[in-house]
Amino acid sequence: MVKKAIFLMMAALLVFTAACSSGGGSEQGSSDGSVTLRIAWWGSDTRHEYTQKVIDLYKSKNPNVKIDVEYASFDDYWKKLAPQAAANQLPDIVQMDISYISQYAQNGQLEDLAPYLGNQIKVDDVSENVISTGVINGKQYGVPAGVNVLGFQYDPALLKKAGVDAIPDNMTWESYEALGKQTAEKGLYLDGGVAPDIFFHYFLRTKGLSLYNAEGTGLGYDDDQLFVEFFGLMRRMIEQGAAPTPDVANQTKGIIEESDLVKEKGIGVWQWSNQFVALQQVANRPLAIAPMPGPDMEKGLYMQPSMYWGVTSNSKVKEEAAKFIDFWVNDVEANKLIKGERGVPISGAIKEAIAPELSDATKQVFEFVAAMEPKASPMSPPPPVGSPEVISALADVVEELNFGKITPEQAAETFRKNAESVLANNK
Amino acid sequence: MRQYSSLRRNLTGYAFISPFIIGFLGFTLIPMFVSLYMSFTSYNLFTSPRWIGLDNYTKMFFDDPKYWNSVKVTFLYVFIGVPLRLIFALFVAMVLNTGSRMIGTYRTLYYLPSIIGGSVAVSIMWRNLFSNEGVINSALTAIGIGPISWFGDPNASLVMLISLSVWQFGSSMLIFLAGLKNISPEMYEAAGVDGANPVRKFFSITLPLLSPIVLFNMIMQTIGAFMTFVPAYIISKGEGGPMDGTMLYSLYLFRQAFMFNNMGYASAMAWIMLIMIGMLTVAVFLTSKYWVFYESEGGK
Repeated sequence: MVKKAIFLMMAALLVFTAACSSGGGSEQGSSDGSVTLRIAWWGSDTRHEYTQKVIDLYKSKNPNVKIDVEYASFDDYWKKLAPQAAANQLPDIVQMDISYISQYAQNGQLEDLAPYLGNQIKVDDVSENVISTGVINGKQYGVPAGVNVLGFQYDPALLKKAGVDAIPDNMTWESYEALGKQTAEKGLYLDGGVAPDIFFHYFLRTKGLSLYNAEGTGLGYDDDQLFVEFFGLMRRMIEQGAAPTPDVANQTKGIIEESDLVKEKGIGVWQWSNQFVALQQVANRPLAIAPMPGPDMEKGLYMQPSMYWGVTSNSKVKEEAAKFIDFWVNDVEANKLIKGERGVPISGAIKEAIAPELSDATKQVFEFVAAMEPKASPMSPPPPVGSPEVISALADVVEELNFGKITPEQAAETFRKNAESVLANNK
Repeated sequence: MRQYSSLRRNLTGYAFISPFIIGFLGFTLIPMFVSLYMSFTSYNLFTSPRWIGLDNYTKMFFDDPKYWNSVKVTFLYVFIGVPLRLIFALFVAMVLNTGSRMIGTYRTLYYLPSIIGGSVAVSIMWRNLFSNEGVINSALTAIGIGPISWFGDPNASLVMLISLSVWQFGSSMLIFLAGLKNISPEMYEAAGVDGANPVRKFFSITLPLLSPIVLFNMIMQTIGAFMTFVPAYIISKGEGGPMDGTMLYSLYLFRQAFMFNNMGYASAMAWIMLIMIGMLTVAVFLTSKYWVFYESEGGK
């Protein structure tokens, strides 16, 4: 009797576990030729809406394909993906961010797409500089969904009000600081503060260096004086009133409606080109984009994939997944729906084909990216495993520095110590 | 043999509670021990856990200033927030204990914030209230102070977080209210005849008779406060800023686990939190015999 009960209980448990494990796994193509793809991405509501439309379009052209979607906000996305990766249950196609792709690639979660390039995924109209941004350790782990480039997005009218006719051509860090002095005298911020990791990395690149070393086992620069030089400048901007103090900046952080530029208290912001469209929309007056300060802007500048599409190693329908990525890259109708929301399309032919459909702000972005693309240098390798922790460590010291709690020298030293201890795990 | 037959006799019972038992084992007990094991490993969710002994604990105690900062912030949050909340809850409970009109409606209204308690919606509302052009700053500007940058100033942001926790006083208030209803009116009448004023009545009758409930509320609220996560996460956009001023323990744990994928370290943090809460609860119980008054024990 008891044996029977235990047997029943074990049987019930087995059913229970089996039920758990069958969910989520990718189905193989069934006998009638139909295929189910799982695809996951992060983003805003606008992105979810048009992505669903693109998927519907794909399904109408490929009636044998069924597509299951999973989407979330950026933070939630990675929380969902990590356990799926641990359980080998990743969706077939995943949207990858540059700060995470190394981790997923190096842990064997992503498939090398090189064999699919030129076959399922046509890249004839894509520049080598762009497609190579998806290469990590010699393997093509991602196809960029679009590209971005850094720039100074500003309000020309406000700049005139500060007594400056135009952003100087070939701006250097010195002329940038001088410009800040001028605008500060008129009570206007020149910039709204910068994302430390991105712009310090840019600054290092202009010197031929990088934030991380090539192996991802340590920092990519040895001279802490470079840290002092860059963040010292950023702090002087704050001290002379050309950039907001950290408490002011924090109060409005992430709320575009309350940003200094929109409130006509600040002239511009340093950020990625795709962020221009939203800024322009909220500000609702003509804005412009200027190139980054130099010297050696060309060395520092690079085309950054806004995000990648990757195919996971645990997918059982990799070819079908690659076909969908091709659709994303090369289909005109699909890109008319996307409208460059995931960055400027990587295919030249697509860029031309959808140009008439774009809003003015998006056109400005496309033009700026087109102007910068020939000048840009190849991207540094994607950030190594542990980079989210390093970036957070950098943000911490820069915040203390900007609050005036520590000197640039102390900040440089603390950051080096913390970053090296995180990156040492990659050795 | 007797045990055997009693197991058989109770089999139906076990069958009926098996959903709970399976759930408890599967979702509580086993994960707890797995997390204890993981706290001695380096584990990033991708590669299999690597045994590193006590490294996580030594790093936590000796080599992570951010950890100690999160402990400090959490203690400030708990030891300022909980007493304030209890005082406020008791005060409102006493007001609501008087029999005025529409008292039921008022009780409901005051309880409402706790129902939606730690939710995301409330935290977002709080963010808006304290934003640059929010109600709080407008009011402060009107009386000539401020505006204060609540999310920018490391000291102000914790004040804002504590004010949110005090505002959610409803559940302890309800328990206080029940306790107040249990104090017989004759006591107050007798004290009134002897000439006691309201302050005296409060300290000699209300508070002693309510002390077991104060104890209960204190322990429950302290444990809850230690585990506060959502408000800090929403208000600081997950970063615990500015200058780690709102980096509560659970938020730092969360960041280690899900943003940096340091699952082992986060597990170790979780166990230390368990031990800290346990010790604190024991300490409160030990002191309770000096200040908690049980009628059934004749005032001992």
